[in-house]
Amino acid sequence: MIRTDVVVVGGGLLGCATAWTLARDGVGVVLLERDQINAHASGQNAGSLHFQLEYRMVERGLEAAQVAAEAMPLHLDAAARWSELGEAFGPSLGVAQTGGLMLAETADQARVLEAKGDLERSHGLDVRLLSGDEIRDVAPYLSPSIVAAAFCPIEGKADTRTAAPALARAAADLGAQVSTRTEVVGLRRVGRGWQVSTRHTDAVGNQVGEEIQADVVLLAAGVWTQHLGQMVGLDLPIIPLALQMNVTARTPKFLPHLVQHAGERLSLKQSQDGTVLIGGGWPARLRRDASGRPRLSERPHLLHDSVVGNARAALRAVPRLAGIPLLRTWVGMTTVAEDQLPVVGPVPGRPGLFLATGGSAFTLGPTFARVLADLAQGLEPTIDLAPYGPQRFGESIDVA
Amino acid sequence: MAEPLTCDVALVGAGPAGMMAALTAADHGLRVTVVDEQRRPGGQIFRQRPPEFPHQPWTPPAGYPWASSLLERAESATDIDWRFQTTALGVVHEERDDGILLATTGPGGSALLRARRLVIATGAFDMPVPVPGWTLPGVMMAGAVQTLLKSQQVLAAERLVLAGSHPLLLLVADQLRSAGADVAEVALARGLPTPREALGSLGAVPGHLSLLGDSARAVARLVAGGVRISPRTVVTAAHGHRHVEAVSLTQVDRQWRGVGQARRVEADALVLGYGFQPSAELARQAGCAMRWDSPAGGWVVAHDDRMATDVPGVYAAGEPVGVSGAEMARSQGRLAGLGVVSDLTGHNVDVELEEADRSARRARRFARVVQRMFAPQREALADLAGSDTVVCRCELVSRGAIEQVLDANPGMSTANAVKLECRSGMGPCQGRYCETTVGTLVAGRTGRPVAQVGHFTAHFPIKPVPLSVLGELDGDVTSGACAHRHHRAEGSQESGE
Ligand SMILES: Cc1cc2nc3c(=O)[nH]c(=O)nc-3n(C[C@H](O)[C@H](O)[C@H](O)COP(=O)(O)OP(=O)(O)OC[C@H]3O[C@@H](n4cnc5c(N)ncnc54)[C@H](O)[C@@H]3O)c2cc1C
Ligand SMILES: Cc1cc2nc3c(=O)[nH]c(=O)nc-3n(C[C@H](O)[C@H](O)[C@H](O)COP(=O)(O)OP(=O)(O)OC[C@H]3O[C@@H](n4cnc5c(N)ncnc54)[C@H](O)[C@@H]3O)c2cc1C
Repeated sequence: MIRTDVVVVGGGLLGCATAWTLARDGVGVVLLERDQINAHASGQNAGSLHFQLEYRMVERGLEAAQVAAEAMPLHLDAAARWSELGEAFGPSLGVAQTGGLMLAETADQARVLEAKGDLERSHGLDVRLLSGDEIRDVAPYLSPSIVAAAFCPIEGKADTRTAAPALARAAADLGAQVSTRTEVVGLRRVGRGWQVSTRHTDAVGNQVGEEIQADVVLLAAGVWTQHLGQMVGLDLPIIPLALQMNVTARTPKFLPHLVQHAGERLSLKQSQDGTVLIGGGWPARLRRDASGRPRLSERPHLLHDSVVGNARAALRAVPRLAGIPLLRTWVGMTTVAEDQLPVVGPVPGRPGLFLATGGSAFTLGPTFARVLADLAQGLEPTIDLAPYGPQRFGESIDVA
Repeated sequence: MAEPLTCDVALVGAGPAGMMAALTAADHGLRVTVVDEQRRPGGQIFRQRPPEFPHQPWTPPAGYPWASSLLERAESATDIDWRFQTTALGVVHEERDDGILLATTGPGGSALLRARRLVIATGAFDMPVPVPGWTLPGVMMAGAVQTLLKSQQVLAAERLVLAGSHPLLLLVADQLRSAGADVAEVALARGLPTPREALGSLGAVPGHLSLLGDSARAVARLVAGGVRISPRTVVTAAHGHRHVEAVSLTQVDRQWRGVGQARRVEADALVLGYGFQPSAELARQAGCAMRWDSPAGGWVVAHDDRMATDVPGVYAAGEPVGVSGAEMARSQGRLAGLGVVSDLTGHNVDVELEEADRSARRARRFARVVQRMFAPQREALADLAGSDTVVCRCELVSRGAIEQVLDANPGMSTANAVKLECRSGMGPCQGRYCETTVGTLVAGRTGRPVAQVGHFTAHFPIKPVPLSVLGELDGDVTSGACAHRHHRAEGSQESGE
């Protein structure tokens, strides 16, 4: 039996950032990852650091946007933490906050941007509307059909390929134990702490079980958060979502911004390596079993409509992409809550158990990590978590 | 389903496996569309000259008396919708799935084929072996050199050294010599077959004697022509400034580990021939389960006795399921074709299946012997790369960089994790060049078998295309024409029309 202060479940960006934050605070931490570090959403996502409300938040009208905007304190905190991380880690995180543009091609979309800007500014985000001419100066690569754009100077990107592993290495350097190929198969409240049952696959392929005792367990299991919840008798209303991404061959740098669209699903950015990442929330299809339950161990199916739709959206915004070879399209799975707000905080009725997931958990990763590290140490987080906590789902989720 | 079907069976690859599967399915009244990147049927082994070349009768390689008639049948099968110079990009899906959607791009633009079944017969490609200097112009793969000769009638160089372990190397050496090249030396990593091995293979050869005989005759001709054939020898480097000028050859032991000093041989080309790897990107992208089988070429597509993969409606035949030669490819193509026929039409094809099964079993016996006899020693080959030898040619990732990443991330133990961290396999070739080496390096460093280290995930599109091609991936422009040209499958229950 191993003993530690904190067990972190999941080796995505969130788990790695949390382990590093805890290790830096001098807390004993064991990170458990079933597969490899960065093997799922954190290594597959677009790496947008977006602080403006996204298309998925404004497409359903102002009221929905107002709810989504309640996450702004988290986003503002995340913007500051990413820039600190970028300085501390350098190229391995690939942080570049060189500004983000949200595009409008019609007068209607421009009006959405205006209303959205008012809302965001009232929450303290620096965002301003650019006219067509101003856009041509700032972003000459954009199509002439763009009539307005909202510009947010602190938006940008980080490198999803390398960010989580860099944080995992830094955590290990500070004494954290990072175990891959180690699955958490059981969580049990024992005394004032938790007993974590694990299963490790060794070099010859044998499954080796090991029990770990910890004061605190932090769930950073992404789309599998629901499974972990079930281990402690919770039915968390966290919705799994499959999304598509694309990447082009390397091309000389021409696209310094994060580009999004107010009227359709689109995100564009150029990576440190020169490849152009194209996404924006185009759906893939989750695999499901006969009774409709998602099969999360299988790769979601790529949808024809999304392949074509995403390509066209990108070509309309940045026509010069037409001749650049597209190298890969891939799919990943992430989570949202019905109200589009993140889910972070203490698990109700399960002392010493905390979780974070939902929404732009890559962007929010460093903030979630700080908040979880505070909670693990019995400290009051600097951000009021009331609007984001799983307690908002009510008592019906407790099925124990 | 709203959209009309393009065909009953979509088939990728018009080599022996694909041609056979297509003809079998068409014979049973199924509508078949075949996609191949080449300009004519034949695949690798029966690759033909471009139609513009002055006409010369095509002679099949020895050992395949059925080749000419198979090609003839394929070329005259007008009830099959052949789409040449067309690349299959991958399988995509719709919100409600019923059938196969195959994205392709070709001279007529991009198209989306709707089919009820898919047969993947995409062949194999040369196994890359990175040695210092292998990125110099003048270093080529045996298959490629032969392709130049067969298809374009071009001699790759004047004075060549051939190095590797695959029997094809000897045939290529002989073909090069008779085409006028100066073959400086043939270095074989293994010893010449021992009498015991030769005896052991006898049980497997009936029906293949001419093939073995052909290799033996190639050796005899080479020796008579004064070509030095060095067993237990590997090439450890290619040298030159702008181009290959010389290579280093070193004696090896049974495990292909170097013993003794390297010697230098002047040459303007180095031809590497360590065997082939299944070209299984399409199968992987479609979600088919893979199996590690090193002698059969590495990662092969798993299948049942009618060549069905674990993905409903998707079959695989020929080299994607294991590199086993043209005889085997043909038998598997027949099996796959019959599998699809019985699946779609309910026709009783038991007799034909039994016959196809018998010939597949015969071919398999021979293939297994050849595979084992010439199986590459992957660890020793991966060790030929120096620390600064480029392993991933697209992204210029060296062996040293890969090992550094493994050392810095102690929990890292899959090929995919290495790909993500250091970009090896992320370039335009999608890892065809580096996967084997990366997998072997990870296995060596972590003490895990390659089966645990895994393969790279293959993604759509399996070959890069301009973004605009995807924007146009809308429907099948020619499907209407094709649908009218064919009669419908008898007894077919589901129909898209
Ligand atoms: C295509 C796509 C694009 C996206 N784009 C963006 C974007 O641009 N910006 C943004 O902010 N967000 C984006 N997201 C969302 C973002 O990727 C995720 O919210 C974020 O990466 C979640 O990080 P995580 O560490 O919580 O989860 P993950 O990275 O999924 O990590 C969870 C880990 O937990 C492990 N695990 C699960 N169960 C167990 C168990 N029982 N035992 C041990 N380990 C376990 C898993 O193996 C996994 O590695 C996108 C998502 C997708 C899919
Ligand atoms: C270069 C080379 C030379 C060879 N020479 C010999 C030889 O001389 N003697 C011998 O015994 N064996 C040789 N082999 C081995 C040979 O591959 C097999 O003996 C036999 O040809 C396998 O048949 P097949 O039908 O499985 O595949 P193949 O004959 O390889 O046919 C596969 C076909 O699929 C097509 N294809 C692949 N991917 C796609 C795609 N995405 N879209 C569209 N089309 C696609 C290819 O163009 C090809 O025509 C050679 C192999 C290679 C790679």
